[in-house]
Amino acid sequence: MTTLDVPLLRLQDICVSYKGNRVVHDVSLDVAGGEVVALIGPSGAGKSSLLRSINFLETPESGTVLLSGNEVGAGQRRGRTQVSKTALAAHRRDVGMVFQSFNLFPHLSAVENVALAQVHSLGRSREEAKKRAYQELEHVGLRDHAEVSPAKCSGGQQQRIAIARALAMDPKLMLFDEPTSALDPELGLEVLGTMRRLAHEGMTMIVVTHEMHFAQDVADRIVFMADGRIVEQGPAKELMRNPQHERTIRFLKAVRDR
Amino acid sequence: MADFLQVLATGIQTTVLITAGAFGVGVVLGLPLALLRRSRNWLLRAPVIAVVEVIRAVPPIVWLFLVYYGLSSDLAQLSTFQAAVGGLGLIAAAYMSEIYRAGIEAVPDGQWEAGRALALPNLSLYRRVVLPQALVVVIPPAATYAIALLKDSAIASVIGAQDITFHAFQETQASLQGLSVFATAGLLYILLSLPIAAVARYADRALVQRMAA
Repeated sequence: MTTLDVPLLRLQDICVSYKGNRVVHDVSLDVAGGEVVALIGPSGAGKSSLLRSINFLETPESGTVLLSGNEVGAGQRRGRTQVSKTALAAHRRDVGMVFQSFNLFPHLSAVENVALAQVHSLGRSREEAKKRAYQELEHVGLRDHAEVSPAKCSGGQQQRIAIARALAMDPKLMLFDEPTSALDPELGLEVLGTMRRLAHEGMTMIVVTHEMHFAQDVADRIVFMADGRIVEQGPAKELMRNPQHERTIRFLKAVRDR
Repeated sequence: MADFLQVLATGIQTTVLITAGAFGVGVVLGLPLALLRRSRNWLLRAPVIAVVEVIRAVPPIVWLFLVYYGLSSDLAQLSTFQAAVGGLGLIAAAYMSEIYRAGIEAVPDGQWEAGRALALPNLSLYRRVVLPQALVVVIPPAATYAIALLKDSAIASVIGAQDITFHAFQETQASLQGLSVFATAGLLYILLSLPIAAVARYADRALVQRMAA
């Protein structure tokens, strides 16, 4: 990224609080288009809260979120960033999200899960949405599971359907909140494989993860957080090989010694 | 007993219509009440809480008289049937709103979050994601309430609606065989409640199966 480029995502001085308890302190972060960023760190470091503030599932107490240089929301009121309904919807259409617990809609089939928001959020026709849903299921290797309900799918398959559901919205940016933490290692691997492919296809991704191999191999940059702050960040392989900060060293040592 | 059955059977239609009518009012009015009660704006929430709590605190028989005398004063004379459906319907709406609310609250947070992350408008989020899942939770208590309502419909007889219980009172005065007459009436209420339970079981199973298909 040259200095002239506008980053795809820019977070400026983001603070997030839960019930008066601040969990993210003045975090700023730029993510370039096509970049894959792994957010790592101990539990309670504020990784998920930071990620969730990007699409306002957690409304930041203060700070700004800019997507393609455009600020989402306008100013503060009563300790929360104010965002109009339409601005928020437009922003969320551009930002896909994959959850730890998949959160597929259990009353809908896989293809209906992927088609729903295309129709009701993007305004695509039902046929168009369905066609696209089949394509995205194909993309994650689950074309043959299109008519199946999520309850009949393995955790890994459910998570891939969830990825397809997010991709069908044509997001500019994908957020992954510990996408493999609820899966056993084998099923986690198939999800990581899908994400790896996505990264190669040039998708901009921010991944909160405890999968250090994935972070090292797939991410362009690793951001290490602790106590609600970014402690250290750098090119993935470099940070893994040669962490500078004492807190990072301790964390990576604990991960390796397990 | 067969004689009584014939007399009391003339009230079946009224009993069924009052029950179905009041339940219908409850099903339709209960949902907006539940949604308003969940509103973040207390100006919307407070009046609903007040109305629901008042309706639930006043005995149904008192409500029926209030509706009957209150609404049929000057402008239009309310028929006993209309008063019964209206009065019991309001009570049903209050109870159904609580049943809906419990159903909506049973939908996991992750479902709301997934819908919001996909930028689903609120209406779609409720219609396509939350309510279909809440329905599964709502059906069993709603069916239980429908059966309770069938029994409560008997109090419509005190304002003169000619239901099973009304005919039972009359037949008792004519025949002086209260025990047999009311035993027959009880039997009729049991028979009427069976299909409601059957329909509820069927609907419940169909929905659960759809989730797992």
